[in-house]
Amino acid sequence: MGTDRWQVTGGVEQVSVANSNEAPILEAEGIHKSFGPKEVLNGIGLAVNKTEVLAIIGPNGCGKSTLLRCLNLLEPYQAGRVLLKGQVVSTGRPEHEHFTRAEQAQARMLRQHVGMIFQRFNLFPHLTVLQNVMCGPRYVLKQDEEQARTIAEKMLRKVGLWEKHPCDPATLSGGQQQRAAIARALAMEPDVLLCDEVTSALDPVMTKEVLKVIRELAAEGMTMIVVTHDMDFARDIADRVVFVAGGVIAAQGTPEHIFETQPAPELRKFLEKG
Amino acid sequence: MALLSLLSAAKNTLLLTAVSMPLAVALGLLLGWMRLSRHRFLSWPAAAYVEVIRGTPLLVQVYLVYFSLAQLGQQLETTLLTLQPFSTGIICLAGNYAAYEAEIIRAGLEAVDKGQREAALSIGMSERQAFCLIILPQAFRIVVPPLINDLIAMLKDSCLVSVIGVPELLERAKSIGKERGTTAQMMVAAAVLYLMMSLVCYAFGKCLEKRLKVQGAHELHVDQVHGH
Repeated sequence: MGTDRWQVTGGVEQVSVANSNEAPILEAEGIHKSFGPKEVLNGIGLAVNKTEVLAIIGPNGCGKSTLLRCLNLLEPYQAGRVLLKGQVVSTGRPEHEHFTRAEQAQARMLRQHVGMIFQRFNLFPHLTVLQNVMCGPRYVLKQDEEQARTIAEKMLRKVGLWEKHPCDPATLSGGQQQRAAIARALAMEPDVLLCDEVTSALDPVMTKEVLKVIRELAAEGMTMIVVTHDMDFARDIADRVVFVAGGVIAAQGTPEHIFETQPAPELRKFLEKG
Repeated sequence: MALLSLLSAAKNTLLLTAVSMPLAVALGLLLGWMRLSRHRFLSWPAAAYVEVIRGTPLLVQVYLVYFSLAQLGQQLETTLLTLQPFSTGIICLAGNYAAYEAEIIRAGLEAVDKGQREAALSIGMSERQAFCLIILPQAFRIVVPPLINDLIAMLKDSCLVSVIGVPELLERAKSIGKERGTTAQMMVAAAVLYLMMSLVCYAFGKCLEKRLKVQGAHELHVDQVHGH
């Protein structure tokens, strides 16, 4: 999948990897984020280009999920900025300072283009599967009932769950719930999909069915940033693997580079432990 | 004759509760939402209101609103603060219970998983949409049992407004008893009527709970998810 486009680096500094003329779809620049005295992200920068699949790996607590949440502006950060298609959408602010009204509107705009899938699915338990998927088109894109239903059906079929559309989410298996959550995100027809350890709460069988859907999306050219602990999956799906440690990008490159050619010492330690 | 009179008084008790409880829930929702606000000018007044109301007896509040307010009104030369017994009863019951409902609703809102708000925001909903469409309906389901509990408590507490002469069940039972020297019998009758009304409220609550369960999905628990 066009891995040759990326300049492969193994260095510790954050690097701009995009070589294409087009601005990256989603980009984070110099993100600093701390929870109280604990610095989680240390000036991290990341950009994803159209149809690129990025896998973020790293030890627990290294900040990879936080980075993903910053990209979707679910998490405020203290310094740096987030850009959507080259446009600055949000900048850092002091801790405990909240988004202003204008920034909230910007965040909403960004989230309409950037879908997110969570570790714990977060389906809305008071709605049926179909209603869950229709939520975005209906209430955010203000489509009428019929339009929203059409797109919801399309997405539920895509993840192989249409027959479950009238069900309560709680009656679904974990894998089915996660697939429904993917359909819910897809119904907004996002430009980028952020996946936050989407299989960590699932057993191996259900993990497989969810990964299959994600693989299909990647094959269709969906741009994705995937945070994962599953190295085989990262190797298999990613155009570029980003290794995060201590709140910075410690290494990045093609899967071959990261996993086979001379991994950096920290990365080798992490890979051996895993 | 005495029984008919008691029944019509029981109707007043029901009316008092039926008007006050929705008001209490509405005000409680506002207070509960204010308490959760990150703006202090919203959360502090709400917290102060809740603590003051919970820290003083309902009976004292009834006297305060009925007598002290009227006296204040006299000094300010206005009749605006001189309230009828029935409206005093509604204001006191609604205002008092609002403090308790606020705490219940606050707890209910806090009990909804944080991921729900994030999921709603992640598909582009505004904070208000996330609150109204996603969080509130789930919180509602959580708060129904304790709210029904308070409905029954209010039904019984409404007897306190008999002290200012609201013609509700206890007041009528007392006055008939005094008139005819049958206080003991009247109290038994009043107790039975209160019990019957409580049981009706209880049954209503159970129905509502059941309907909510059938209508929507059950709560989604993490351990349940892992258990699959």
